[in-house]
Amino acid sequence: MQTTPSTSDTDLQADNLRRAAIDKSVKVPVLFLFTNGAFWLMLSTILGVLAAIKLVEPEFLGNCQYISYGRLQPAHINALVYGWGVQAALGVMLWIMARRSGQELKSGKSLLLVAAIFWNITITFGILAVLMGKSTSIEWLEMPKFVWPILLGCFLCYAWPIVRMFGRAFRPEGFMVSTWYILGACFWFPWIFITANVALHCLPGLGALGAGIDAWYIHGVIMLFFVPVGVGAAYYFIPKITGQPIASAQLASAGFWTLAILGGWTGMQKYMGGPLPAWMTSIGAATGVLLLIPVGLVGLNHHLTTLGKHSAAASSPTLRFVFFGALFYPVSGVVLALNSAFWTGASLQFTQSWYAFQMVSVYGFFSMCVFGAIYYIVPRLSGCEWLSVRLIRNHFWFSVYGVGTIVIMSLVAGWQQGADLNDPEHWDQTFMNHVVNSRAYVVSRAVAWALISFSNLMFLIHLLLMVLGLGRRSSAPTLLHHDHDETALPNGAHA
Amino acid sequence: MTNFRTFILGLTAAFGLPWLCLIVLPAMQYQQITPVAYDKDKDGVEGIYPPAPINAQGQLVYVREGCNQCHTQMIRPQQLGLDGWYKGWGQDQEGRPTAPVRPNVLRDYLSEKYALLGVQRVGPDLANYGWRAPDEASLYQHLYSPRSVHDWSTMPAYTQLFKVQKIQGPVSTDALKLPKKFAVAAGYEVVPTLEAKQLVQYLQSLKKDYPIPGQSAAVAAAPAKK
Repeated sequence: MQTTPSTSDTDLQADNLRRAAIDKSVKVPVLFLFTNGAFWLMLSTILGVLAAIKLVEPEFLGNCQYISYGRLQPAHINALVYGWGVQAALGVMLWIMARRSGQELKSGKSLLLVAAIFWNITITFGILAVLMGKSTSIEWLEMPKFVWPILLGCFLCYAWPIVRMFGRAFRPEGFMVSTWYILGACFWFPWIFITANVALHCLPGLGALGAGIDAWYIHGVIMLFFVPVGVGAAYYFIPKITGQPIASAQLASAGFWTLAILGGWTGMQKYMGGPLPAWMTSIGAATGVLLLIPVGLVGLNHHLTTLGKHSAAASSPTLRFVFFGALFYPVSGVVLALNSAFWTGASLQFTQSWYAFQMVSVYGFFSMCVFGAIYYIVPRLSGCEWLSVRLIRNHFWFSVYGVGTIVIMSLVAGWQQGADLNDPEHWDQTFMNHVVNSRAYVVSRAVAWALISFSNLMFLIHLLLMVLGLGRRSSAPTLLHHDHDETALPNGAHA
Repeated sequence: MTNFRTFILGLTAAFGLPWLCLIVLPAMQYQQITPVAYDKDKDGVEGIYPPAPINAQGQLVYVREGCNQCHTQMIRPQQLGLDGWYKGWGQDQEGRPTAPVRPNVLRDYLSEKYALLGVQRVGPDLANYGWRAPDEASLYQHLYSPRSVHDWSTMPAYTQLFKVQKIQGPVSTDALKLPKKFAVAAGYEVVPTLEAKQLVQYLQSLKKDYPIPGQSAAVAAAPAKK
């Protein structure tokens, strides 16, 4: 969105008016999704702290059945995935697609709002049900089976206008890579979600195959929903703010299609060596490693795009979050490969390193990109600027350190657990070594979640103030640069 | 619009193939799997495999409490882990079994709607727990107060599955005999509820290492005693 000297003022003004009209048309649903998502994120991180403490000290807060680890942990993950993840992703998808295709949201705004409200009510009941003892014990689908048709309906209410916008768009310069990813996410999530729920809730029972389908579902949602939204946001915001075009269209295209082809195969390696037919787990493990290709291609492309522009990350909050999110993408690919490959996966199986993968992809990568997007989108929708540089900076650093700690500690803990499990000396021992040795790592996880909770509290307060219209009234964006040197970025970058 | 159509077709094809191969076809094939009969001559045993179903009522309690967050139910082959050599993790409770416990196969979970293979292995594997389960009283004690069994245990105490009641007349036959440190107030006793009984029956029914028909290795490994 650079302005060139040849652009006449009236053109520029018309452009800005058009953008403002688009922003206004999606304002209500997008802000609603972000605010509620931030609440769920807050809750999820607090539950994460509690669950980690309960894993070390089960008598913490008494032997209350509603907060035993077996119920808290699913509640924590479900709040993170459905409360925050999918919800925030929908907001980002809707806004980016509206802007990219230059389409206003014409009709159905109230339907979107109703869908968002229903989404939140359903998840509230679902998570309460898990805590009250109605969990299904199907990982990532622990909420009782009444929730999934409602969630699906709400999701489709959003997916339809997003696809419609894309279809109506006028595209003189062809497709842009961020819209591919967002369309893909719109398309894959319902497919994966229906498949897993029909298979696990409606079919007469699939025994051990059901467990495999569940593992496939988790990895499908990560690789074909959270990853595309995160990468899509990164592909949108990095060029926009640095003012650099994406380095290579071929790399972008190859990265997208390899992800599309490989993403659906992975997941069942979680149960390698188990009752599933060996070819299923093997193909999952192989694609788990092969997914390093799309991850590497995207990483390389981002690296080439931002080459020489790294200093911009110091001043733009959006770029800083997206940048670090994009850095976590290769990390999540490596963790997945470590879990999948036979040499390392055999000792990492059934350990905390699988938690590390879920957290690095959902929090480290996806959420960081979405935070960046929110820091960009919200001022345009609410008509005011972020209030405090300090709040943003704290949010960033506590998040980065928190999620970094969780990932590193869970990986090391996984290695330790695997070593303890496979130690021949332990063949006739109780699980004492195993439990005692992993204790310290879980404590660090609790501390890290506490840091993240703290950062999210600041994010939530900041976001609420913005949504209430109490932000800074200024035409200059809030930048993180120490001396507020606004010339560090091209002026148009924050249009 | 052709461009858009090609794009959607590409997405469908890219995801449809794994969807078909990994989910749809295996799910259809799974419906055909039925229990098989042992061959008396070859396997040396009679009956149908898998011989005994798990206690489904107790499994509901296991599911509800999210036990699978910390307990797996899956024995891995030796190239992946030492599961098979852990003491008491199979039918053979001897200190040094002649052969490792066999890894699990699809049919072991035939009677279950959803196999609880597990999320993490924080506690021991329970696939064949039924063989090594102690007597019911010890199991109740473990569920009611895990730390009275192992002071390092991080297992939650499932006190909600038990009832603390005033002793009226003689002490109930199924009242828990807790160590002094964990005992309830004098004049009171802890008795398992129906759910605790079902959960214990479920745990005792976890035996997933019956010999597989036609696999001589499994037959050889099976101990002679019942």
